[in-house]
Amino acid sequence: MAVMNMREAISSTLHAEMERDSNVLILGEDIVGGMGTAGGPEAIGGIWGLTGGLYAKFGPNRVIDTPISESCIVGAAAGAALSGKRAIAELMFADFVGVCLDQLYNQIAKFRYMFGGAKCPVTVRLTYGAGLNAAAQHSQAVYAMLTSIPGLKVVMPTTPADAKGLLTSAIRGDDPVMFFEHKTLYGDKGEVPDGDYLLPFGHARMVREGHDASIVTCGQMVGFAAKAADNLAKDGIACDVIDLRTTSPMDEETILDSVEMSGRLVVVDESPPRCSLAADIAGLVVNKGFAALRAPVEMVTPPHTPVPFARELEKAYLPSAASIEAAVRKALAYR
Amino acid sequence: MSQLRAFTMPKWGIEMLEGTISEWNVNVGESVVKGQVIAQIETDKIVNEVEVEYDTRFVRLIAEPGQAYPVGALLAVTSSDTVEDEEIDAFVRAFVPAGGAAFENLEPASASSAPPGPSGTASPAPTPSPPAGQLAPAATGRDRPAIPAGTLISPAARELALRLSLNVSVIQGHGRSGRITLQDVDQAAKPIRSVHGGGPVAIEPTGAALDAFYASPYAKRLAVTHSVDLATLTGTGPRGRISRQDVAAAAGISVVPARGAAYEVLRMSPTRKAIARQLTLSKSTIPHFYLRMSANVDALLALRAELKRAEGSAPSMNDYFIRAVALALIAAPDVNVQVHGDQIHRFRDADISVAVAADKGLITPVIRAAQTKSVRAISAELRAVIERARAGKLRADEIEGGSFTVSNLGMFGVDQFDAIINPPQGAILAIGAARLRPVERGGGLGVAQVANFSLSCDHRAIDGAVGATFLQELTALIEAPQRL
Repeated sequence: MAVMNMREAISSTLHAEMERDSNVLILGEDIVGGMGTAGGPEAIGGIWGLTGGLYAKFGPNRVIDTPISESCIVGAAAGAALSGKRAIAELMFADFVGVCLDQLYNQIAKFRYMFGGAKCPVTVRLTYGAGLNAAAQHSQAVYAMLTSIPGLKVVMPTTPADAKGLLTSAIRGDDPVMFFEHKTLYGDKGEVPDGDYLLPFGHARMVREGHDASIVTCGQMVGFAAKAADNLAKDGIACDVIDLRTTSPMDEETILDSVEMSGRLVVVDESPPRCSLAADIAGLVVNKGFAALRAPVEMVTPPHTPVPFARELEKAYLPSAASIEAAVRKALAYR
Repeated sequence: MSQLRAFTMPKWGIEMLEGTISEWNVNVGESVVKGQVIAQIETDKIVNEVEVEYDTRFVRLIAEPGQAYPVGALLAVTSSDTVEDEEIDAFVRAFVPAGGAAFENLEPASASSAPPGPSGTASPAPTPSPPAGQLAPAATGRDRPAIPAGTLISPAARELALRLSLNVSVIQGHGRSGRITLQDVDQAAKPIRSVHGGGPVAIEPTGAALDAFYASPYAKRLAVTHSVDLATLTGTGPRGRISRQDVAAAAGISVVPARGAAYEVLRMSPTRKAIARQLTLSKSTIPHFYLRMSANVDALLALRAELKRAEGSAPSMNDYFIRAVALALIAAPDVNVQVHGDQIHRFRDADISVAVAADKGLITPVIRAAQTKSVRAISAELRAVIERARAGKLRADEIEGGSFTVSNLGMFGVDQFDAIINPPQGAILAIGAARLRPVERGGGLGVAQVANFSLSCDHRAIDGAVGATFLQELTALIEAPQRL
């Protein structure tokens, strides 16, 4: 076990997987950086600091700076994957999936289904989420949109260890994976297992364990939910906090096991409420866990608006430990 | 203006808070004459017929059968002559219930509101103009509209709020743009639930040490609780994961069933609620003590058999017991009491409440002055009253005010039991089944039919010796039944 932050966990996993398998390659905007400048490759660039050292170690054929074109990044990655490579595509901001949506939802999500089971091992790494004052076009949580597409796996690590385990599984797997990295979690530290460490998809993590209410969430919201649960525990209210880890496939079993014990569900989602992950899980539980429910499902989400730029508004926009705590109390207060 | 009158939920007895219309016996537009039965109203004690107290015509029925309404709530509107719908609407809107407010956010009725009672009148008063500067729609007095115009509220929510006489202006709407939903009204009508959980609790995941295993969180939880080694299990869950079923099977336990599926929720009927309230009060506040005695009933059985041979029928054992209790109460009047605070009401007559199992729960019709009635008379009266009780047609005065209760479970084969006192009464007698038992006879051992009697006494009013006197008198009467 080594203590490192999520940035280091992702970076070291990229190094390890590229060392392990010479078919693994990575491409994206400015992931090398400094090409053609006086300082040379890696002199500048890599704005999230995740790809440093890869170029020096693996060279220009496996670490590829691309033009500013998401369709190019994902399209090239898809082609490489179809011809036997394992491609890692980096989107600097998940908000730009719109630019490469055809490559994602109409191409790589369909290859295996339409073309004789063609394998397309692409891992698209997307930096997402609000909380850093990055405004409406660079702060969105678009995972719900991609979760809705059959043929794509959607992964959202919350801890450095999960980042390593899930990223390793994503790269070694034969299916396209959308790997969402929350920009506010890059600095979070935690223990990371040494050596090979793979986490299966569809395998949720129990963050807190209680029987009064079930808080189901993912990504940045997991930390908020854990804080809310800790506050509630001081008041004698014990909550399950479930980190989904992956939203496609989703760990239905863990959600239903928990709700069947608690009878109360609070879903916390960073994306706006309409057609969201929160709505999806609420629907699942109403459909399959109705007999256990003792209160209406509470959904804690941002409002149905773009992410605001002003710091105060952005803070008000995002769910918080306080709003999650209030939702749990509301569910418990149902008469 | 026509003479519109309100027909409101009557108040029968001091404890009545609400009633349920079980059935309307009139139709809208129907003329009725004084004394005609117009509805059946169920309280937490009885179902009673309601007679109209004046000749009139029912122009609108508001209460829905099966729904509970607080005392004083508007159930119907009557008028001796023809009226326009708008006039009735105005009357209903202006109606303010008198007293009996069952809900915390029901605004207090103004001092000049209608008097209570089955035919409390409430003619619309002149509409006062709202005080200047009042933001909310006029919210006091009789001109308070049941639901202010422009209120965002769903149709079903509106109906429920009207029926429960709730003041919707204090209800926060959770629908789009603050529209009040049915759930909002439902929640507003129920008492607030405290969510404080007590002292701090630990919520660290118990299965954290088992992270290396591919098992669901709940399976890990079970594995820790039941010391199951996950390494020995093969997962049968999604993607080969170890599920709670796998661990439960290994541990030889049943998987915890869904909470909602383990039982069925039955709402307490008004009668059930009344029994619960009354008996909880009794058992938690009255210092009970119990005296037990048995009686040889051979002579009584013989007497009854002889009567049956002679006349073709005979009263039941229970009828004889009631008669015996009546005479014993007159002989031991200190048991024939009600307890009211620091006063003891000692009754001249033996007014005996007889516990009867009815569909909706226990009811206790009263045989008045039972000491003056023959066993046959008691038998006939009891049969009639039980029939009416089972049909839900008992009048309030038939079940109130007994001085002593008899509960007999002998017919169900119960040997002996202790009963809970029916307050404000001071004592209750529990009678078990008569059975062949060994008895001492002429210095030797014989067998006889013996029944057990258990007297529960309120020690505040009745001492052991007093209760014993009653039981001695009672068993003596039963063993020498000629005096009955």
